[in-house]
Amino acid sequence: MVDDGRVRVLDAAVACFGRVGIAKTTVEDVAAQAGVARASVYRWFPGGRDQLVVDAIGHEVGRFFEGLESEMAGATDLATSLETLLMYVHRTLLDHAVLQRVLETEPERLLPHLSEAGPAFLQVVAAVLLPIVAEASLTPGVTPAEATDWLARMVLSFTASQGRWDFTDTASIRSLVREELLPGVLSE
Amino acid sequence: MVVGVSAKLTDVDNGRHPAAPAPPRAWRSALPAVGLEQQICAAAVRLVARWGIRKTTIGDIAKEAGCSRATVYRAFPGGKTELLLAAAAGEHGALLEGVADRAAGAVDGESALVAVITFAAHSVSEHGGFQFVLAHEPDIVLPLLGFGEQDRLYAQIAELIGPHLEPFFGGQAGWAAEWGARAVLSYEFNPSPVVSLTDEADTRRIVRQFLLPALSRFPSAHA
Repeated sequence: MVDDGRVRVLDAAVACFGRVGIAKTTVEDVAAQAGVARASVYRWFPGGRDQLVVDAIGHEVGRFFEGLESEMAGATDLATSLETLLMYVHRTLLDHAVLQRVLETEPERLLPHLSEAGPAFLQVVAAVLLPIVAEASLTPGVTPAEATDWLARMVLSFTASQGRWDFTDTASIRSLVREELLPGVLSE
Repeated sequence: MVVGVSAKLTDVDNGRHPAAPAPPRAWRSALPAVGLEQQICAAAVRLVARWGIRKTTIGDIAKEAGCSRATVYRAFPGGKTELLLAAAAGEHGALLEGVADRAAGAVDGESALVAVITFAAHSVSEHGGFQFVLAHEPDIVLPLLGFGEQDRLYAQIAELIGPHLEPFFGGQAGWAAEWGARAVLSYEFNPSPVVSLTDEADTRRIVRQFLLPALSRFPSAHA
């Protein structure tokens, strides 16, 4: 019960970020949005507004990771898995209205927190990829751990920037994965 | 720290920071004033390395540069923001120039990529100003490197560094530059306990194992 309430407050905080932005979100707003008393918010988040902001961002990042893990649950071969991963990442971030709004209007409030989530991102992606990489036929001289680390880093890199690729185009993603990301990893 | 902004930065129109407005007219021309503006920018960068952006004032910068506040404002009427953006653009431009130079001396694609990556990684990790702001004032610098800005950065790198890699990678030279930049940024923002791109052997391994095969459609990419 307490957990549900806490999650409701976190979701409410994210909704407030979307409505008025992070800087202008107050504990009062969030309490009203969540339909709970201010006192309850302070009980769950003794650090007040600042803690609420950090935890709400962490909560959304956690949801993103959970979605990633569940998207990858039926993963088969490495190439298809990477394509699925990149499409998930691209689609999820683009579809996240609050994220897009905050990035446009007050990126400085969000990016430091996202940057801190970098190591966790790499860990989550590496954990998902390692079993698939371990089953694959790798080029000589590369260990599953090395290949996984490189691939996870590049997934994160492409999360931040598509560069010359077009992630709305499945052919572009296929080309990136099969012709440039994997040649160094998979033996033919 | 590389602050050697040479007088012939004529081609570095794109060398200014992607998010910056056009820097004051003369900093990269041959006018006498360019020495003074560079001096002021260099002073600003030294102070930012010590105290960060928020605690560095125009007065501090003037003193460090050995001129009056009035002189600084004459050079940068937009004040501290304009000055710091120009300084950042200057550092960025100098870094890209240094990277381009490193590519010039290489004998093959592998060596070219190893040289540019280690140089860039080393320059970034040794840059006091950048490292201070990244560590203590990330809200200032990350918006200049986040999401949409990184797209612009990669495009700029492909455009400026690509030509220097063309002898080795032909039409894929811009792509080679982008891959190198992705590697540098990845290890800069998420350091690894086992791989450092400031180390030539580590970099060579990454280049050989992962980057060259990505560019393998161009035959002379392999030595």
